[in-house]
Amino acid sequence: MTAVTLETSTAATPTRGPRGLLWTMLRLHRSALWFWVMLVAVGAGALLWAYGPGADAAWAEFRKAGCDAVSPGGLTCDMGAGAAYGRYDAAIALGSGVLALAPFLTAAWAGAALIGRELESGTAQLAWTQSVSPARWLAAKLAVPAALLVSGTLVLTLVHRMVFSVDGALRLTGGSRAWYQGATFEANGTLATAYALLGLTVGVLAGLLQRRALAALGTAVVGLAILAAALGALRPYLWPVETLTDKNEYPEFIGMVVGEGALTSTGARVPDPICVDNAKCLAEHDIVGFYRDYHPASHFWPLQLVETGIVLAVAALAVLLAFRLLNRRTGAAA
Amino acid sequence: MVEYRIDRRSGVATYVQIVQQTKQALRLGLLEPGDKLPTAREVVEATAINPNTVLKAYRELEREGLVEARRGLGTFVRRGLNTAPADSPLRTELDAWAVRAREAGLERDDVDALFTSVLDTHFKGDES
Amino acid sequence: MTETAIEAAALSKRFGRRRGPALDGCTFRLPAGRVCAVVGPNGAGKSTLLSLAAGLLRPTDGTITVLGQTPAAARERLAYVAQDKPLHPQLTVADTLRLGRELNPRRWDDRVAERIVAEGDLAPDAKIRTLSGGQRTRVALALALGKRPELLLLDEPMADLDPLARHQLMATLMADAAEHGTTVVMSSHVVAELDGACDHLLLLGAGRVRLAGPLDDLLAAHKLVTGRADASLAPHTVVESRTTGRQLTALVRPDGPLGDGWQTTAPTLEELVLAHLRAPEAPALRLDTPQEAAV
Repeated sequence: MTAVTLETSTAATPTRGPRGLLWTMLRLHRSALWFWVMLVAVGAGALLWAYGPGADAAWAEFRKAGCDAVSPGGLTCDMGAGAAYGRYDAAIALGSGVLALAPFLTAAWAGAALIGRELESGTAQLAWTQSVSPARWLAAKLAVPAALLVSGTLVLTLVHRMVFSVDGALRLTGGSRAWYQGATFEANGTLATAYALLGLTVGVLAGLLQRRALAALGTAVVGLAILAAALGALRPYLWPVETLTDKNEYPEFIGMVVGEGALTSTGARVPDPICVDNAKCLAEHDIVGFYRDYHPASHFWPLQLVETGIVLAVAALAVLLAFRLLNRRTGAAA
Repeated sequence: MVEYRIDRRSGVATYVQIVQQTKQALRLGLLEPGDKLPTAREVVEATAINPNTVLKAYRELEREGLVEARRGLGTFVRRGLNTAPADSPLRTELDAWAVRAREAGLERDDVDALFTSVLDTHFKGDES
Repeated sequence: MTETAIEAAALSKRFGRRRGPALDGCTFRLPAGRVCAVVGPNGAGKSTLLSLAAGLLRPTDGTITVLGQTPAAARERLAYVAQDKPLHPQLTVADTLRLGRELNPRRWDDRVAERIVAEGDLAPDAKIRTLSGGQRTRVALALALGKRPELLLLDEPMADLDPLARHQLMATLMADAAEHGTTVVMSSHVVAELDGACDHLLLLGAGRVRLAGPLDDLLAAHKLVTGRADASLAPHTVVESRTTGRQLTALVRPDGPLGDGWQTTAPTLEELVLAHLRAPEAPALRLDTPQEAAV
């Protein structure tokens, strides 16, 4: 009785477009995909606006105030609270903010929607009883989002670098976007992408451990926050520092400062007794000079790449644990 | 073509019900030699019973020589079942016996029980 | 009939150290082409057994082979429908079937799946989350049968269905089994819904096999007897007996002919199962291996 409809619907089998697990991934997580595309578009749009009209308006504002003669430290006026500059700064903040937020959003989504919910509702088991082994299922769950995350974060990073490469003076006026400062440091290199991948793998692992959407979401976000804080605290020590010393006062303040203090006549580093100009005090403490450890701007890539390596290694460890956990539970060798 | 009605509460094995209903259809002339029995698929789609049960019933009918399976074609009726005609001597005797039973004051249920017990004695071991 | 659909040897599964075993040393054999009922009270281990057969869990001890392979290796050849019929709520019916086609590229049969969906008057563009329990079951079954499995594992398939939907789905299943010789394994704690459809029985209790074998053989091995309360039933195995006044009613496994003075009838599936459930201490009976009659 349904023969006619059967014939037509069978004939209409689509053969173009993505197939198999890729189709399944894109179809199941369509809304997350669109959300990510939108987020990248908004971030990139904001950065491009800052690069063009935003910067122009800020310059015009400075020129109107008569402080457009650029000095080494920035503009001649130490202002920067003008409305146009504020919008310029906010647009950059939005762009780098998307990159800073992406790992956490990814971790929350991967823990809850990508893995946790599927294990909780049994749809993961539904996939494993098609012709798809749990291992292939997990591989697809990692590979497809990873590819989209890498492309999205790379686009944002490139646009951010483009904005950063010009208008340095404008940026420094606000004093908040030095090369070594958190969001800027990450958004200018490979770290934003690495952290997004870490978010994905931590989320996946949390989802497999908790097997429930809400619990996995919490675990993933907290876990990533702890990892990111630990890695962030390690950052200054990932490459040998440069040291400046001075006999009378603290050396110039340049780049990422890692440590500072006083030097005794034996060359030992001691905490500054805070004598200021008191010669008697200085003599008493045997202070003959001051030092400052720092990373110059030339350390950007070494620092960036070492940390990226560590982050990717942690992500790889999470992937390994995820596969082992799944294999132990399902007993599927293939 | 016959349609089987399966009564799960009857206590009669399902395949026996199919055998009985097929024979009944043969007796009533609803099935005649050359007719095709429904396929196992058709039977189970209508009754939601186990396909092996249908095959078992058909094998039983085949064993009794009532039907034959033709490879790839289906199961076909080989011969009909003749009941004793209305005017046969056996029926006349039974008729007279029933009259006597009634005169002796037996109720319908009593006659039924008596008849079944005599059948059980004489047809012991004969399925259906 | 010598082919084996499922074979378990000393199969055990524990969830966590502290909890008792969900399955405890189960040994049984299910020949291919059967429709097998897995029956037992809640918590007997029915779902665990089906998950193990589907390759979703790893046994703690013992082995299970499916269609002569490990469950993982047989993945393409078996289908499984879990108790709560998990489907992606955000997909449409058509997308759900497309999922089956995409994930089973070597086996998928659109006609089978679409016929089952069409028989339920389901609109292809209806979202799964809008469907009733019976409609969801139908879609889940379409997904399972569209794969053209050699072994179909169904965990409580009829649980939330009305009588008509039950009959329709059972008929669909039986028709598929008739046409393709699919081995079907169905678990249920309601025995009545499996009667007539199944020809093989696996009764579980507290994680152990209580009865296993062809249904007809198991039924034939038991008799319901009624007699005087002071009469002895030795040497027959008494599964369960009850005394009312001077009368004794028992389900026994006769060992030779029963003596005079006993009225005997053949038990129904329901009577057989209920008697074993009421008597958890009764010895197990396996009739699924030709060489060893009982264990």
